[in-house]
Amino acid sequence: MHYQTASWGNYVAASRNNGMVGVGVDPLERIERLASENAVVIFSISSCCMCHAIKRLFCGMGVNPAVHELDEDPLGKDLERALIRLLGTSSVVPVVFIGGKLVGTMDRVMACHINGTLVPLLKEAGALWL
Amino acid sequence: MGSQRIIGGGLGLSEAGPSTHHHHHVPSYGVLHGINSANPSTLINEGHAFNFGELEEAIVLQGVKARNDEGKAPLFTTAPRPAATLEMFPSWPIRFHQTSRGGSKSGGESTDSALSTKTEPPLEAESPMSKKATTPSSLDHQHHLQHDHHDASRIVGPSSSSQNQSQAKSPHEKRKGAGSTSEKPLDAKAYVQQLESSRLKLTQLEQDLQRARSQGLFMDCGGVGGNLSSGGAMFDMEYGRWLEEEQRLMGELRNGVQAAVSEGEMRGIVDGYLSHYDELFRLKSVAAKSDVFHLINGMWTSQAERCFLWIGGFKPSDLITMLIQQLEPLAEQQIMGMYGLRHSSQQAEDALSQGLDQLQQSLVDTIAGGPIVDGVQQMVVAMGKLANLEGFVRQADNLRQQTLHQLCRLLTVRQAARCFIVIGEYYGRLRALSSLWASRPRETLMSDDNSCQTTTDLQMVHPSHHQNHFPSF
Repeated sequence: MHYQTASWGNYVAASRNNGMVGVGVDPLERIERLASENAVVIFSISSCCMCHAIKRLFCGMGVNPAVHELDEDPLGKDLERALIRLLGTSSVVPVVFIGGKLVGTMDRVMACHINGTLVPLLKEAGALWL
Repeated sequence: MGSQRIIGGGLGLSEAGPSTHHHHHVPSYGVLHGINSANPSTLINEGHAFNFGELEEAIVLQGVKARNDEGKAPLFTTAPRPAATLEMFPSWPIRFHQTSRGGSKSGGESTDSALSTKTEPPLEAESPMSKKATTPSSLDHQHHLQHDHHDASRIVGPSSSSQNQSQAKSPHEKRKGAGSTSEKPLDAKAYVQQLESSRLKLTQLEQDLQRARSQGLFMDCGGVGGNLSSGGAMFDMEYGRWLEEEQRLMGELRNGVQAAVSEGEMRGIVDGYLSHYDELFRLKSVAAKSDVFHLINGMWTSQAERCFLWIGGFKPSDLITMLIQQLEPLAEQQIMGMYGLRHSSQQAEDALSQGLDQLQQSLVDTIAGGPIVDGVQQMVVAMGKLANLEGFVRQADNLRQQTLHQLCRLLTVRQAARCFIVIGEYYGRLRALSSLWASRPRETLMSDDNSCQTTTDLQMVHPSHHQNHFPSF
């Protein structure tokens, strides 16, 4: 899977007319906004063990990610639905954004780590100094 | 001939044995022990030391009904009777001569009455040796015994006799005796011994099978085993096929390395091996959906592999550690790359392990329940948490797959070929070690009645495909 901001922008544009307007904030926009607030952003669910694993992975690398627990967010359900639409899979958490760009779910993150592209990405985003 | 029949005296065999049939195994075995432990040397040395008496006594003990009173004559002329299963002594050879009357008669002869009455002549003839007398008789019996001796010396039975002779551990095989016609009682005894030894062999095989299965030796019979779900059984079958194909690819790799094929060709072989592993991970992901526990508990692997199992498979960092040693010499850059790969792999493994620990903790909390325990709800929640296991196995396999691919990227084609050869041989040796371990002779099996003589047989029980891995030595 190949995530780029451009395609993401299409999603944002497409969903702008969706029903979330009533709440005043489009969930994808919100996601976008949240993702750019920190170098590493993880959308998670507090009871999810895979989310726990990914948090441990980043902490083990010395990264301090910003974690948004969807189940602790009043609009979490909307965000979750938006993420599902974005990613195309139903098991959507944990989702990782690095430097505002979508990296993906657990297997994508692990693949990046193993093939050595994760650390440069983190350094580029300013999450790691080595 | 004064050999002391311990049996005759002490065991009270004169009474008919248990009235039931082949389930009273122990008494006969006890008798057998008694017989076997009694002066085997004297029994051998005796020119006529054919332990008919002992045999007869045991037969009587075993299931012979109280038909001792029946005359001997009717015995030899009666039509075949339904065979009562007697527990004979498996280790005793068939010492009976197959009579001209053929097997059918001997089949029929194996009746209680037949045997009981047959006990008489030998007993009588060896009167000094036997303290037991069912129906005392005259020299007539002695005469018969002479015949019996001779017959015993010409042990030619049907296939059963050879089968029993192969089992024979007893020293009672030496026979000398004058030739004479065979007697009907011998057919029955031969047949009975044949039945008994076959039955025992069957029991032993069943036990071996059970043992092998419990040890998790892979059965390539399609998972015909009580505990395997269909998903697990299907995966086992596919894994067996995968292993066979892997051996073939290993052969290709070795040929490629030795024959120094072109780089392009070698690249093709290496890619083929890599995609074979991709196929394995695909199979595992399918199996994880249907039976994740089967993958996690590792019953599809060999014992040694299972010992080192990490979330349903090998631990990538351990593999890389082994490879760094085995693949020397490597260029500096490659060594750095390998160490980096190992480091990343370790971090990912730690993360997954911690996630799994949290899953377990969460599950424990759910199952243990709290002050407000709603059974159904509790189970529903627990089931939901268990479903996460599949995700962990998938991620672990993903990690393994990525590690293997990265290895290929780090190494040159020839190094990658060597690397895969090392990996294949390593796991092949682990599997072979498991087979050897499972079949090592164990003296402690004495406690198991039927298996103390069959320890060597146990070594023969190997799933055939494990043999594939020995050539790698």
